[in-house]
Amino acid sequence: MIRYLARRAAHGLLMLFGVSILLFLLFQAAPGDFLSDARVNSQISAETLAQLRVQYGLDQPLPVRYWQWLKSSAKGEFGYSFAYNTPASTLLWPRARNTLLLSVPALLISWLIAVPLGVFAAGWKGRWADRLFSSGTSALLALPDVLIALLALLIALKTGIFPVGGMTSINAQDQGTWAWLRDLGWHMVLPVGAIVIGSLAIILRHVRASIIELMDSSYMRAAEGHGLPRFKLLFGYALPAAANPLISLFGLSVALLLSVSLLIEVVMSWPGIGPLLLEAIMARDLFVVIGAVMLSTVFLVAGNLLGDVLLYAFDPRIRRQA
Amino acid sequence: MTSGKLSLPKPEPLLRVSALSVDYDAVGGNMVHAVRQLDLEIAGGESVGVLGESGSGKSSLALAIIRLLPKNACVVSGRIDYRGRSLAEFSPAELRAMCGAEVSLISQEPALALNPVLSLGRQLADVLLAHRKFTRQEVKARCNEMLCQVGFDDPGRVMRAYPHELSGGQRQRVAIAQALICRPKLLIADEPFSALDAATQAEILELLQRLKRDLGLAMLFITHNAGTVAALADNIVIMREGEAIARGTMETLQASGDEYVQGILFPEKSLANATHKEQPLVSGAPLLQVQGLSKKFVQKRMLSRKQFVVQSLEGIDLELAAGSTVAVLGRSGSGKSTLARCLAGFEAPDLGEILLDGNPVTEKKRDPRWQTKVQMIFQDAATSLNPRFTARQVVAEPLEIARWKSEAERMARAMKLMEEVGLDPEWAARLAGEFSGGQRQRLSLARALAADPKLLIMDEALSGLDMPLQAQMVRLLMELQARHGLTYLYISHDLNFISLFAREVVVMNAGRIVERTTPEKLAESMHPATRELVEASERLHAPGMEAAV
Repeated sequence: MIRYLARRAAHGLLMLFGVSILLFLLFQAAPGDFLSDARVNSQISAETLAQLRVQYGLDQPLPVRYWQWLKSSAKGEFGYSFAYNTPASTLLWPRARNTLLLSVPALLISWLIAVPLGVFAAGWKGRWADRLFSSGTSALLALPDVLIALLALLIALKTGIFPVGGMTSINAQDQGTWAWLRDLGWHMVLPVGAIVIGSLAIILRHVRASIIELMDSSYMRAAEGHGLPRFKLLFGYALPAAANPLISLFGLSVALLLSVSLLIEVVMSWPGIGPLLLEAIMARDLFVVIGAVMLSTVFLVAGNLLGDVLLYAFDPRIRRQA
Repeated sequence: MTSGKLSLPKPEPLLRVSALSVDYDAVGGNMVHAVRQLDLEIAGGESVGVLGESGSGKSSLALAIIRLLPKNACVVSGRIDYRGRSLAEFSPAELRAMCGAEVSLISQEPALALNPVLSLGRQLADVLLAHRKFTRQEVKARCNEMLCQVGFDDPGRVMRAYPHELSGGQRQRVAIAQALICRPKLLIADEPFSALDAATQAEILELLQRLKRDLGLAMLFITHNAGTVAALADNIVIMREGEAIARGTMETLQASGDEYVQGILFPEKSLANATHKEQPLVSGAPLLQVQGLSKKFVQKRMLSRKQFVVQSLEGIDLELAAGSTVAVLGRSGSGKSTLARCLAGFEAPDLGEILLDGNPVTEKKRDPRWQTKVQMIFQDAATSLNPRFTARQVVAEPLEIARWKSEAERMARAMKLMEEVGLDPEWAARLAGEFSGGQRQRLSLARALAADPKLLIMDEALSGLDMPLQAQMVRLLMELQARHGLTYLYISHDLNFISLFAREVVVMNAGRIVERTTPEKLAESMHPATRELVEASERLHAPGMEAAV
């Protein structure tokens, strides 16, 4: 078990290295840098620009810059933000926490909804309930995430029940921990809801499809032949057997969720990684962009690692091979 | 057995099937009549055997009784009464209550009848709990008792185990325990043996005989093997193309003059007349030499550092002369398949050397010559062929991989190969999934021959087929061997046709070769592993069958 996990973690680490190298190369290939805007500004002299380039280390060749980034990452700083004049980590950590605050509940809620609903839809395959369900998920799939976020904002505006964007009210901190938490929770409702709606349909469809495929297998037919109740067949027999591909999907769904959440954060002004990333890309704030993308990769790797642990726990056959 | 019944007025039978017809909606809108106007009666405690070739509608009959027919099948006419009440009147809840508790089914493939991710104890207990309420202790006690009854000495371990940790025979016994734990009145067994080795088959057969006697179980026993049916059934129905063409006791049927009935009761008779026993001339040079081959597998458990090493092959030495046929016998788990997989290059051996034509093959995966010289045919043609390929694609694929000549020439060769294995080249555009079991095995044979191999490894290639089909395949294989000078390594658990086919027999047990002999001397062997196989195979065959060989 330990060795299996260690091997998986090592794979993840290798992937992180690969992603960071790729990011540096991509940035090198992209035109312009942080100083591009300054260059067109006639009030800034060429000497100052050259001085700034040296100061930011932009004059160094790529391998040197990469090596310096690695050294600073080892210190936990992950490079330096040109725009904010601080180590990138001081920008990234609070943002990462806020993003997790949205995506972890959204992940749990989507799966808690998707699994039972998908199993039921599979159990009623072909009936009106299933058809309704299938057209519903198709509609959800067709809906762009931006639209969902905008709709959520519209609801907030029209009803006035929910706050319109942001993470906390201005005076929330002053009213004690409980009031602050309640306020935070209230702000989370709409963004989490929007992320869930944005990612639910895909998961649901996968759950339904895997269960339907299994219901035709000979052991499900055998269990049916033994007179097992339908509910037990679906949830006690089909679901554990279908768990294997679904758990793999769980790992991948972390990536899906992150991509949905980045967009929704931007639209609903949630101070997560999304707005920071957007801002940093616009300003070509090299290390912040790299840091933000690396963080997403870390979440993704962690999600997959979690999936591997779950697989190991759920499937006796994997335990044997591992 | 039947004499006692005649004197009494006939009681209401447990199950009565009258004029049952089942149709299948096949691909392309054709209707296939799987069962036609079938009548059948089973009294309490009586066992009825249904005997027929594959495709004769036997399984559809079983599935129709417990209403588990696939979606594309439907009962078009007739009725099925259980204790005088038509099954059509049963509500879904009543039907569910009946299945498993009153009537239960043992399905064909034990490996597939159990959920792979649930412990066996849970799967057994769930059947019990689905029909009656019990406390935890009662459930455990009953499961233990049932597992002992089906012949396990350590029920506790079996309850904790998962299906993949047991052998095929053990799994089949758990499936039987599942079927019997609610003490049903009627057991429907659909080819319960077809996937088991001969020794296990004999054990399960004995178990069913004992349970039938002890529990007063009525049985509907569906098979293609005349031997098992003779051992178990009071009355026999022979089915052909969905119709019952003969019925009666074994004795009356054996005396019947019908050619088809004789063919199905004594499949080896027809073969013995048709084949010539001379072997093709053997050139002296060995085609394949195996020296000291070893392979082991390691198993682990969650949260435990303990490893179970499963030694699969240990110090195997084997030599195959070009143009000869060597049979490898052994019960399941004896390492036969691992040997085949090592020789075919699917597994890398831990130790030892494999020489083909005198050249050592170490990096065989990278040597395309090895791949074309050695071809393998698997037990289950249904899963080893891509069902979405057409027959022509299936046969031509190895040629494509080898970049053999042009597209047109490949197609022509594929057609020729199909003809050679007895398939109509007109069917070349049909999908592999649309062929019957026997035809699919012919298709895999054509595919294996496409690359012009020297050695053909057949891993239980005939075991999934019924006897008449096996006989046809053996005949075909012998013809092909004579024509192309092929060398066969024939791996099997049963002794059917071995004496007609193989020149040398190697018996394996627990990963080692325990005996080398010839088919003629097999019956006189003193080695316990060999004796077990020989005896099991004798018990399984109908009386009089040996005489036919």
